[in-house]
This record gives sequence, C-alpha cells and structure tokens, in this order.
Amino acid sequence: MFWKRQIPIAIVALVGTITLFGWFIDQPDIKSFVDDDATQWYDILASFAIFLGALNLLKLQMQKIIKRKKGWQYSIFAIGGFLFAITAGFLMRGAYTVNINSVGDTPEVVAQVMAEETEFTTNESEVLLGLIDDDSPLPLEKVYMTGKGVNKVANKIIASGASAEIIPENWGAHLTKKDGLFNWMFFKVFTPLSATMFALLAFLVASASYRAFRIRNFEATLLLVSGIIIMLGRVPIGSKISSWFVLYILALLLGVIVNSWKSNKILTFSTVGIGLLVVTIAGFYMGWPIDKPAFAYLPSLQEWIYLVPNIAGARAIMIGIGLGVFATSIRYILGIEKSYIGE
Amino acid sequence: MKKLADLVIKLGYVDRRWIFLIIAVVVMYPLFKPLGLPIRPTESSQEVFNTIEALPQGSKVLLSCDYGPSTKPEIHPMAVGVLRHLFEKGHQVYVTCLWPDGQFMARDALDQVAENEYGLNYGEDYVLLGFRPGNEAVIKGIVSDIRKMYTIDSRAIPIGDIPMMKDIKNISDFDLLFSASAGYPGTVEWVQLAADPTGITMSSGVTSIQVNEVMPYVDAGQIKGILAGMPGAAEYEKLIGKPGIGTSGMDAQSIAHIVIVMFIIFGNIAFYLERQRSKKTF
Repeated sequence: MFWKRQIPIAIVALVGTITLFGWFIDQPDIKSFVDDDATQWYDILASFAIFLGALNLLKLQMQKIIKRKKGWQYSIFAIGGFLFAITAGFLMRGAYTVNINSVGDTPEVVAQVMAEETEFTTNESEVLLGLIDDDSPLPLEKVYMTGKGVNKVANKIIASGASAEIIPENWGAHLTKKDGLFNWMFFKVFTPLSATMFALLAFLVASASYRAFRIRNFEATLLLVSGIIIMLGRVPIGSKISSWFVLYILALLLGVIVNSWKSNKILTFSTVGIGLLVVTIAGFYMGWPIDKPAFAYLPSLQEWIYLVPNIAGARAIMIGIGLGVFATSIRYILGIEKSYIGE
Repeated sequence: MKKLADLVIKLGYVDRRWIFLIIAVVVMYPLFKPLGLPIRPTESSQEVFNTIEALPQGSKVLLSCDYGPSTKPEIHPMAVGVLRHLFEKGHQVYVTCLWPDGQFMARDALDQVAENEYGLNYGEDYVLLGFRPGNEAVIKGIVSDIRKMYTIDSRAIPIGDIPMMKDIKNISDFDLLFSASAGYPGTVEWVQLAADPTGITMSSGVTSIQVNEVMPYVDAGQIKGILAGMPGAAEYEKLIGKPGIGTSGMDAQSIAHIVIVMFIIFGNIAFYLERQRSKKTF
C-alpha cells in the first residue's frame, strides 16, 4: 500500500511544487529542471503512453472479436489496419532507391533498363549515365516499397553491365519518404478515410439544422439569428447581400413581432408600411451603398459578433477554466485529488 | 392555403436522404463550374499578412503544422499560402509538428511550395524538424533548448549537420512563430507556453470552429491576426495574389451555407405552421 499510495502522492506533490516554484523563483537549477529535465521526462513518458495505448487498442479489439460482441467484424479491420501500420512503420523500411555507380562497357543496355524504370527516354538516360563519375553516382529517381522489388531492379542493372547499389532510406525518415510504403498508406488510405469522415459533417449539419434549429424561445432565436449572420457573413456570397435587403427583412420581422404582440392588423400593416418607407427613403438619400449602414451589412455584423459578444463569452469560459485548473492543481499538490491512483 | 400549409408541414418531415442529395449537388456544382465570388480580406487576415510582410529579409520563421487529413481542406491552404509568402520574401522556415499527422501535411506543403515552386534547398532555406510526442512539453522544450528536443530532423539528419540550424538554440532565435492549428495541442498552447513567456511575435491560422477560442488572444494582441477557417485561407491567397485551393473552395462553401440557411428558414416555417395547427386543435 505504501508503494502504491504514499509514494506516488509524494512524487506528485514534490514534482508539482517544484514545477510551480519554477515559474516564480529565479533559481537556475530549478528552472533547468522545469524547462529541460521535466520536459524530457514527460516526452519519454508520452512515448511509452503511445505504446501502451496501442497495446490497449489491440487488446480491446481482440476481446471484441473473441467474444463476438456487436460489430465485431469492424474490429477485424481495426486490427488489420493496426498491424499493417505497425509493419509499414516499424518492421519494413518500405523505401529503397538504387544508385548506379558506374556504367560499364554497355551504356546503351543500361540506358534501356533505366528508361524502363524511370520516366526518362533511352536517349535522355544515356546522357544522364554519361554524367556519372567516381564521386557522383546516379540515383534512379524511383522509390521501391519492397526489398524484393528493389533487388530485381538492381540485379537487372548489374546484369546489363553496370555497377549498382541499393540505398535503404534511414529509419525514421522512411515514414515520410515520398512514394515509400508508409507514406503511401498515409496519403492513399488514411487521408481519404479521415477526410471522408469529416466531410460527412456537412450533410449531418444540414440535416440537423433542418430538424433541430427551431425558434422555440428567446435564447434559441438569438442563437439562430447569430448563426445565420455568421454563416452568411463569413462567406463571399454574404458580401453580395446588400445591407438594404437586410433592412427590408428587418422591417418585415418588426411586423411579425408587432403582430404577435398586439394581434392588430392595422397596427401591423402600419408598422411594416412605415418601416419599408423609412428604409426606402434612407436608401434614396444615401445612394443605396451595398455596405452601408454597416450595422445591417452581414460581413460587418458577423465581425462584430466575433469581436464583441463572442470574445466576452470566450474570456468568461477561459477565466472559469483557468480557475478550475488552478484549484485542481492545488488539490493534486496537496494530495487531496488522488484520481490518478484510482481513488 | 390549407393544402400549401399541409405541403410545408409534410416537407418538414422530408427524408434526410433528400437533404443529403441536395447538399451533395450544391457543393459539387461550384467545384465543376466556379462562380468566382469576390473574396474580401478581413482585418485579422490583413494583420497576418502585414506581420509577415514587416519581417526583414532572411528572417527565421518557426511554422508549426498541428493538423491532420480531416482538417486539411481548411488548414492546408493556409500553410501553403503562408509558405509561399515566406519564401517569396526570402525567409528561412523551420517546421515542427505537435500532431503526428502534421509531419505528413508539412512534408506535402513543403514539397509543393519549397521544392516544386521555388526550387529551394533543404537544410539551407527550409527544414522539417518533424513530430515529437509530448504536446505542451514539446513547446516547452523548443522554448528552452531546441537541440534537446530535436537531435535529428524528419529525414534523420543530425541537427548539427543542418546548416540553417547553426544559430538556433531556442525559440528566441526565431523572428516569427506561425501556428497552423486544428485543435489541441495547437495555437492556444503555443501562446501560453511560447509566445507569451518569451515575447516572440506570433501569428496563427485555425479551423473555423477554433476561432472562438483563439479570438481573445488576437483581441489582446498576443497573436498578430488570425486566418479563420477556409475563408481565412482564401483571404490570404487573395492578399498574396496567388489563388489556390482555398479560393476555389469558397464558392462551394458559400452555396452550401446559403442552402443550409434556407433549410433552417423552411424548417422553422414548417415548425410554426405545425404549432399553430396544434394550438387550434386543443
């Protein structure tokens, strides 16, 4: 119990206190610990966390398949994808190139092989082969994903009389090597799948807004109106909507409000009529500029929403989060909060 | 009139697949037939442009690519646009990634801009340091000593062998920090742990959904301008005079937004009529 409870709490309290003091005390050793050592420890721990996370994923998906839980078939794809990514990332380099070190006595044959493997013609290949000397071998501008594939090409070049060398990509760099196996997996499998999932949001938002975005009360109306202004004001088509058009709509909306309030047709029609008349007179007076008055121009209106009410709300949330983080940190340092040891 | 009301209420319960079909059609149409709607740069996009424009030639810029394929349509055009602007002005670019996917995105953008468009030399004009796990700890590492965080770059070249890393020890050796971010860890963490404590000039490009969270920092001057979502990317492309994928995507987004707004209005008319009818029934 001592090792599982008191020791972890003591470590958290000590490291938390030192880290906190690192911000307030100008002591080089403490600062160095906070800025460098602790950071690197975290980096190492985070790397292990990725490893543990991967193992956990594997375990959960395996359990799902073995116990034939609902949707277990998808787990086969999850494990298949996981194993493929592990193989492409850790076990295979998946990126090899070939260097031609010397041409030998039959450059035309080597040029033919090179033309088959690259986008160059036989003549262009011959010119390029002519540039080879002891210090600068000619790299074939093609990346091979498997050792078998690259061996085949290297043997072909050697059989044509040249001297060739297989260059495997460095570990680590093999992940992002253009046309390499891992890179292929990322751009041809992961990217389209990921983009598809995100793109589906547009359809879901459209469907949800049609069914759920309703004027039920004042707050919902406020949210709806702000949402519409932001949606239209942020895109180029919003700048094509004249502020006078918005003012005419406002005059009509005023009529709706008056009608709901008083239920008097004469008053409603008078309000709408006066509103439309005022907007028209003002329009003629100002010359109908598309972006004036600014309070009715959607791009200006959306910018105001972003800069004033939005920032006020965001700041309030941030201050709340900050206070919450502070309180929780103090609880950790003092050993009151013990959720990390399962209590 | 009653029949019209019945029709509107009935349409209020239309099968969602019809909505999906309409959205698909209106999104695809401008992609095949661009409308060429005008792009109007906002003040925050202009500020990003001005900040980069004000850098003296040969400045060192740290670009953090913290996004993945799902947010590529929004953030990638920004990263490409900013890289074009930086290379046009002759700055040196150092790229780091807090997201594992970011390394691939950065590589893609650098291949396109640095290699194909500008023919620049790796290690002299730009370097991709790559991804390191640890989120905030990576930022803190870069702030205090970048060589402890990165011993090799993404091509497995030792940092000491990269010419443009010669004078770089920590974040204070950079003239600008630009965070292309799609969430956590990203812009907010860069402000809190790098820009604010060290005073380095910082600018950012984020997804539309993240703008709310980042705007207070822009308003306070802790971040110099912000590129907000795909419109921000399109605005930046307009500012640098190089229209790209952000600009072409804006027509589709414009039409999609109009259609969604129309759906909302139509849905509310149906809701209102239905409510009026149920009031009369009781």
